Amino acid sequence: MTLFHFVNCALLTFGPHVVYYSATPLSEYDTLGTSIKAAVVYLLTALIKLVCLATFLKVPENEGFDPYQEVMKVLIGLVDVAGLYFALTQLTHRNISQNHKFQAVGLGWAFADSVLHRLAPLWIGARGLEFTWEFIFQGLEANANLVMTLSLAALGSLMWLRKNKPRTLIPIIYACAFLLATMPSITSYLRKALEWQTREVVGFEIFSSLVMAFFSWQLFSACQRPL
Amino acid sequence: MAAPATTEAFSLSYSMFSLLLILFACVELGDAASAVHVYRLIQYDLAGVPLGSRISHLNHHATSLPIDPNADLSRSALVVPLLDLDLSFLRDYITKKKPLGGLVILLPQKLSNKFGDFGKHVDLSRVKSVLNELEDLLVHAELPYPVYFAYESSTFDSLLGDIRGKNFSSQPATSTNGGYKLVISTSEAKKLSPPTISNFQGWLPGQKDGDSEQLPTIAIVASYDTFGAAPSLSVGSDSNGSGVAALLEIARLFSRLYSNPKTRGKYNLLFGLTSGGPYNYNGTQKWLRSFDQRVRESIDYAICLNSVGSWDNDLWMHVSKPPENVYIKEIYDGFSEVAQDMGFSINVKHKKINISNPRVAWEHEQFSRFRVTALTLSGLSAAPEFLQSTGNLHDTRKSADEKAIARTVKLVAESLARQIYGHKGKKIDIFADGSSLAVNSHHIRSWLDLLSRTPRVAPFLSKNNPFIAALKKELSDHTVEVHVQNEVLDGAFTFYDSTEATLNIYQVAGVTFDFLFLMVLGSYLIVLFSFLVITTRGLDDLINIFRRPAVRKSKSA
Repeated sequence: MTLFHFVNCALLTFGPHVVYYSATPLSEYDTLGTSIKAAVVYLLTALIKLVCLATFLKVPENEGFDPYQEVMKVLIGLVDVAGLYFALTQLTHRNISQNHKFQAVGLGWAFADSVLHRLAPLWIGARGLEFTWEFIFQGLEANANLVMTLSLAALGSLMWLRKNKPRTLIPIIYACAFLLATMPSITSYLRKALEWQTREVVGFEIFSSLVMAFFSWQLFSACQRPL
Repeated sequence: MAAPATTEAFSLSYSMFSLLLILFACVELGDAASAVHVYRLIQYDLAGVPLGSRISHLNHHATSLPIDPNADLSRSALVVPLLDLDLSFLRDYITKKKPLGGLVILLPQKLSNKFGDFGKHVDLSRVKSVLNELEDLLVHAELPYPVYFAYESSTFDSLLGDIRGKNFSSQPATSTNGGYKLVISTSEAKKLSPPTISNFQGWLPGQKDGDSEQLPTIAIVASYDTFGAAPSLSVGSDSNGSGVAALLEIARLFSRLYSNPKTRGKYNLLFGLTSGGPYNYNGTQKWLRSFDQRVRESIDYAICLNSVGSWDNDLWMHVSKPPENVYIKEIYDGFSEVAQDMGFSINVKHKKINISNPRVAWEHEQFSRFRVTALTLSGLSAAPEFLQSTGNLHDTRKSADEKAIARTVKLVAESLARQIYGHKGKKIDIFADGSSLAVNSHHIRSWLDLLSRTPRVAPFLSKNNPFIAALKKELSDHTVEVHVQNEVLDGAFTFYDSTEATLNIYQVAGVTFDFLFLMVLGSYLIVLFSFLVITTRGLDDLINIFRRPAVRKSKSA
């Protein structure tokens, strides 16, 4: 019966990615290659981040919140942004519109993130007899992460792929992008320093991802008007 | 163009996925909410009759009291604290052979060696009486389901609290409702080979005057093995750890006297540690049979020690010859003299032996059957029944008092010394407190502690066990000509192994929860799909998905 639970949680974690791909025009324009390339770039980025973390961070003695360490983690988190930049600009994509490019890259990125971070605990933990809410929370986090990655990819494509943008919006774009990039640090701050419970943190993640998605959507459509 | 690329990509992702899966499947992690050490009820056959708990693995939902008398418990494991157990209900269940998935009885933590701060102030005398009745019931019945003992802990407290809360809503936990699942995964218990019993003997030879023949011998004997409802918990501190500790202390005291030729008495002293006690003292019988007849005849009398750790003011001397017998009277007078000086009384109890009855209630009866005068000193006033008072669950370290053992040691040592050195009737204190021959209560305490940590049920105590080696070494330190006799236990006993296991407690959610979750998830994904189609392609596209066959038909037409 617990294989049932595993299947449920896997659906919750990976289902939305598949649904997104098949529901939007991405599947019609056959952008699977782009997503796969973005996933590979994510893997490489994750490896580089691991090496940087191992080199620069000390093992924490107590469980508390160390500002210096967190700042280091934020800087290393910007490696993520660099990886996304690479995936968006440097990879050769086929002729797909910018609209779909950022979606495909964001989707591939988020899917790789989910698989790498959430598949292993799911496979090992959810199949046991013991029932915990942990994996359901993890699935919800994966959903929120997908939305945030898509928003970040959208803002990234605005920053790097679109040459003429309304002057006034540029700082807002960069601010939103920075906020999204540092989201992992914000959640870890909430968890450790303010000691929020898991469900509160997941709720915050979902709420903030929806808010940020709304803002990025507005910015994106605002920048599309001249064209 | 598109097809080869997609298949390529698909096969790549598939192989990566499967590789990752295989990698992660190799990592094993424990996944139970809690794992507790539990001890199984003994499983044995007596003359072909199967007795005790016949099954060792368990995989059922947990339930607890109060239960509906008509409820079907064949798929549930009943978890019950000892003092909440209703013995008449259990007796009813057993005699009517009603099916039960499993039984886990929680013992008060005070009985364990690692007693911490947990546990209310438990009335140990009430625990003792309940345990006696319970053990009697369980050991002599056939139970075709697993029965385990565990110590109370906070884990079980929270488990029982949760189960009781569910019980009040009158919904027993099943696979569709959730609750707790108790899993003990061990293989079926296998028959053990017939148990070896090891009898130890050590001599303290007396001082011969040149040409005199065989010196008379006085024997001091105690049986060291136990039998109880839970073999892993059967430490028998009082029955008969106290006897063993007393014997070793007496051996130590007399070895000090006998090591100096000037203080060596004109009696040989024979110390015997026998096994097979609970089984009608079978080991003692084999030990005596192994003696040369002349040696046996030279034994003046034997003192058997049994349960000397729990008496206050009355010590009992059990005999099989009538108390008016000259030898018995002499020994009794010697003892009561010393007892009076020490401030307590000795009472004689006479129990005739019936040769045709195979039941041997006291160790001295085996001696009497070989026509050797013998007596048993015990704190018990009545002869225990078969398999009773041989290391029960309540007989742990706290039930044996080293002061009582020390007084027994002093009594026996003084009386023996007065007889050996011919000081009968004199006011003399050979083993005076504070002297170099004082009874050493630290020695008694350390042996009592060791005995209370070592379960000593004969079939599970192999002859290579370190405890056996320790006994042999201790005897060799104080006596000479130490000899170990290994025999196979007689009689119609067959034992089975698997006495300890680990109980895993899982909190499960039940199938209904999984189905509900699947419904919710399915509707979420469908809503997400529709939302995305509507926002990116328009509402018409969504409707077109469901109308596709119709559209195609019209196109082809």
